[in-house]
Amino acid sequence: MKPVIKTQNLCKWYGNVLGLSDVTLQIEPGITGILGPNGAGKSTFLKLISGQIKPNIGTVSIKEEKIRNNYLLFSIIGFCPEQDSFYGEMTGWQFISSLLRLHHLSPLEIESKAKKTLEIVELIEDKDRVIKSYSRGMRQRLKFAQAIAHEPEIMILDEPLNGLDPLGRRKIIRLIKSYKEEGKTIIVSSHVLPEIEAMTKKIILIHQGKIFAQGDIHYIRDLIETHPHMIYIKCSNPRVLASKFINEDFILNVDFTSEEDSVIVKTKDRDKFFSLLPALFIENNIEVKEITSPDDNLQSVFDYLIGK
Amino acid sequence: MNPDERGKLRYFLNSTRYVFAFFFSLGKRARKTKVLYLVSFLPVLMSMVIKFTQIFYDRQFIEGIYIFSNMIMTFYLQFLILILALFFGTSVCSEELEGKTLTYLTTRPVPKSSIILGKYAAYTSLTILMTVTGVVFSFLILNVNDLLNLSIYKILFRDAAVLCLGIICYTSFFTFIGTFLKKSIMFGLIFCFGWENVIQYFPGSTQRFAIAHYLKSLLPAASPGGRFSFLLFRLEPTTPAVAIAMLLLITTVFITLACIVFSLKEYIFED
Repeated sequence: MKPVIKTQNLCKWYGNVLGLSDVTLQIEPGITGILGPNGAGKSTFLKLISGQIKPNIGTVSIKEEKIRNNYLLFSIIGFCPEQDSFYGEMTGWQFISSLLRLHHLSPLEIESKAKKTLEIVELIEDKDRVIKSYSRGMRQRLKFAQAIAHEPEIMILDEPLNGLDPLGRRKIIRLIKSYKEEGKTIIVSSHVLPEIEAMTKKIILIHQGKIFAQGDIHYIRDLIETHPHMIYIKCSNPRVLASKFINEDFILNVDFTSEEDSVIVKTKDRDKFFSLLPALFIENNIEVKEITSPDDNLQSVFDYLIGK
Repeated sequence: MNPDERGKLRYFLNSTRYVFAFFFSLGKRARKTKVLYLVSFLPVLMSMVIKFTQIFYDRQFIEGIYIFSNMIMTFYLQFLILILALFFGTSVCSEELEGKTLTYLTTRPVPKSSIILGKYAAYTSLTILMTVTGVVFSFLILNVNDLLNLSIYKILFRDAAVLCLGIICYTSFFTFIGTFLKKSIMFGLIFCFGWENVIQYFPGSTQRFAIAHYLKSLLPAASPGGRFSFLLFRLEPTTPAVAIAMLLLITTVFITLACIVFSLKEYIFED
């Protein structure tokens, strides 16, 4: 398949701070997930490929054309920014229709597209309310709506699921997947792996401004699953519990904390660990107060992978 | 101009028109506009107080048209249009950055220069509307007993036109400053009440470095009398044709610079 977006040796600094370093990529039609912890460089990458900022080194092209200051390309691009900012005094309808007007559409087209889009994101009933009275989830859906309203071929979506309730997330995910069926190119960023996983198998991992890995979701999953997980357990008898863990080969480490009623366990197989745990509690008559995963986030996974 | 160029020009003008419509409608609803509308109505309030005092205390010795001309010279020309142009002009770019809404505009198929031009035109129109409304009301109140004298309306049109020219010129300057500097309001205040209010009183050709000089050149000079008049401000006016040409030139230069800076500069939102 012919790549739609190409970047070559893309570098970006903000003063002394590195935003992105030496990114060479080719993005084909379909959904591409950009995954990375906060501050990894995802938004910088998306701003660079949408021509909002200029690279210090390197080039970006969309459909073989340079993007920076090439305003005509925006008739086929939809961009959903990360920041929760709006013209608060406008109504939802005015916001979408005014932005559609900037696409040089006729009043009839504007009306039909604005109506269709607001129906898709389920804001049609609230279209005449001013945006500043919208909830966080409604604003997020409106932000998404302005990116899709002109039916672009390429959609660049920066954390589009932020602030949405589970139902809203599911709907937007389904919608994004439907665009893939239409042959569109969608680039979605997130710092939450399951969100990206639900949309696509094509993933680019970004960490500290660099492309850390790219490829199929299964490869990334394998990388992540070998990451040792830390589990904090607060219970009535942590020492008995710890003694039971020692014999298991998937347990890497058991630590006691300064609190008398807690233990921290490090395991290389989280699934096995959690399947064993309830039986241990019951057999040894241990009362559970709290179970948490202090390092259950993408940042710790990246830290581990880099260390590895 | 070949058909391709004509098409590009038409596209640019349409883009500017759409941006204008967007921000004219948005600007009307903005809280800032409402507050500044109230400020622009201060002279109307002042005129009412003056007229009531004249009527009820029978102090009719100062003509309404004289008070009106002074009001134009002191309040409008040296304060109000500067403040309005400063707040609207700088906000053409800075409010998009502070509100982080710039992305919505720069990811549309419109040239960046038409964003600046359209928004500048929208805010200039709002400022002109605000100012002219206040001027007309003040004029009518102050000259309530002379409204059938058609010759005084010439003064109203002339003064309103000068103020409009001033707004157009100052707003273009502040639009440029807004695209260029982060602390544009601070710089603007120094410019308004430092540079503009000082340099115009300098003798000789130095006063030509102030926009106010060209605006005052279009109005009849109030010559100070008395023994010490030589110590007071003496306007050395430019001819009206040159003054108008200079004001239009300044406007064109600054709005062009604003468009260039906005097209080339990289704007990064502060977290």
